[in-house]
Amino acid sequence: MNQPSLLLWTSALLAAAAVCLLRFSWGKALRSAPLNAAAWGLLAFALAMGMAGAGAWGVAMVTLAALAMAFSCLALAAATAPPGKTGASNRRAHMLPEGQEPLRIGGRMVSFLLSVPGAMLVALILGLAARGAAGALGAHEADGNVLMLFLMPLLWAVLAMLILLWPQRRRQVGLLAAPALLGLAMLWMARP
Amino acid sequence: MNLGLSKTLVQRGLSAHAAIGLLASALLYIVCLTGTVTVFYEEWQRAERPDAPEMQRIAPDAVQRAVASVLASEKDRKATEHLYVHLPTDALPRTTVTTDHQAVHVDDQGRVVAKELNGWSEFLLNLHYTLNIPGMVGLTIVGGLGVMTIALSLTGLIAHPRIFRDAFRLRARDRGGLGLADWHNRLGVWTLPFALAIALTGAMIGLGSINVYGLAQGFYKGDMEAAYAPIFGAEGKPNAKPAPLADVAAALQTMTARFPEVRPIYVFMHEPGTAGQQLQVLALPQRRLVYGETYNFDQAGRFLGTVGLADGATGQQVAASAYNLHFGNYGGLPVKIAYLLLGGALCVVIATGTSIWLGKRERRGYRQPRLRNGWNAIVWGSGLALALTLLARLWIGNAAPFKTIFWLSLAVLVVLSTALPERYRVRRALQWSLGICVAALVPAVLGG
Repeated sequence: MNQPSLLLWTSALLAAAAVCLLRFSWGKALRSAPLNAAAWGLLAFALAMGMAGAGAWGVAMVTLAALAMAFSCLALAAATAPPGKTGASNRRAHMLPEGQEPLRIGGRMVSFLLSVPGAMLVALILGLAARGAAGALGAHEADGNVLMLFLMPLLWAVLAMLILLWPQRRRQVGLLAAPALLGLAMLWMARP
Repeated sequence: MNLGLSKTLVQRGLSAHAAIGLLASALLYIVCLTGTVTVFYEEWQRAERPDAPEMQRIAPDAVQRAVASVLASEKDRKATEHLYVHLPTDALPRTTVTTDHQAVHVDDQGRVVAKELNGWSEFLLNLHYTLNIPGMVGLTIVGGLGVMTIALSLTGLIAHPRIFRDAFRLRARDRGGLGLADWHNRLGVWTLPFALAIALTGAMIGLGSINVYGLAQGFYKGDMEAAYAPIFGAEGKPNAKPAPLADVAAALQTMTARFPEVRPIYVFMHEPGTAGQQLQVLALPQRRLVYGETYNFDQAGRFLGTVGLADGATGQQVAASAYNLHFGNYGGLPVKIAYLLLGGALCVVIATGTSIWLGKRERRGYRQPRLRNGWNAIVWGSGLALALTLLARLWIGNAAPFKTIFWLSLAVLVVLSTALPERYRVRRALQWSLGICVAALVPAVLGG
């Protein structure tokens, strides 16, 4: 076995061991901060070893090894755990009206428009602004373009989440308007 | 680990999680299910055409002969603008030449022996990529579903502050909704790295068209090709003047001699047989996430340089890694099996999410049997409709109308399930039907 392979196998085993340590630590009646830190540290070390051994490919493989171990632990729990004694949570998600509550179709439509097309548009503007800023700072053209391609969906997800977390309509609109204006200003400054 | 969030934020997180889930879950489930099945895209192609010639490698001269022979067969048609040669790989050990007009398998001597028949595999891939909606719309919707998956993951963490603390508890047997919640939360937490990676890369791929349109409008005077060029390389200037066919064999020989550490997997020819033709070889480096590196050659097969997907700018390498990371084809069969299991787990997370919401409403006294049956029809009916398309592939052949069969049967199942009175056990009937279809398919698919 050559050195990169050895490094990779070792890091995969360490990642699996880190998950076992987490399982042990989280299974204790009282949480142990040192054990938790040791488990997370071991996992981080394993990922770093994977990176050193085979770059992003190594990180992906080590992550899969950790997940395989976690699912093995889960399978064991599924096979051995007795049925729960308490009932499941009945927390309301407030998605549909109950009893005489109004349906609020209009409000729901506005929430949809703000969090789906609205947030998408703002994320697109911000992504393009980031591309412009990257170009102005001397980044490689490919880096700027790919930054935009990845940033846009991430920003869209975060904006959609924040809109839904903030029920006040004025705040929601502000959440979209402020970054959109900032992004447009940055785009105007970075225009070719 | 407890995330230490306020009760109000947790409640809002739950509402946001449910809102996104209910909005996106049906389409998201179909995309996730088809994505899980698509992991074995190459294997499906082999199963569809078991009699195609297979080989571990093909000689450069044989590839040259195959290209010349395919182009000669198209003399009476409009000249093809692109020609691709798929070279044998471990997952798909076949040589296939594809032009704008046809796709054919060739043997190891470069002789055309059979037409490519992979209609079902292509339908499956298209269903996953675009939900069979043509143009940019389908791709953008699927990209948007990737975004919603990221948002679902984030709001799921906010809505369940104890989710990490309970990460290893799984009371599998359901009791008053507890088992269902445990399956949803445990699989949700452990598929989180996978779900985020798949969702972000999927969103990047799906939203690529509108994002590149934005880039083109903002920075490249509307030229979308110019926006892609810094990442994936530019196409040469077309020149329709006839010219001898580029020397593919010389290019492949150069690859073997100068770059023995990489494996050529594709030959690309743009405007073949013209003065403007461009010759490229896509080769796979070992132990990398990138889908390959593009090696450029001139018409005489002389090496010109690489595009930089494997060793160029960071952005190029990241973009080129997104595809393999998304589809799980970077580590052979073990990684494909891992993706199958993780994709399956993600399907369970989506399916149980809406069921949990329905269960909570039922426990609070708001029973909605039609809605529940409709959701069961999505969960079990999607798999059943997909199995029916595969049965159609076996019984009708490559030309079967897969899209119609899938969407029509799913629509009928959803309508019937929601319309039937509650006494009918819709879920059980769908599960049995799916089981029978799969049992009928397994020997046929495995036996070729």
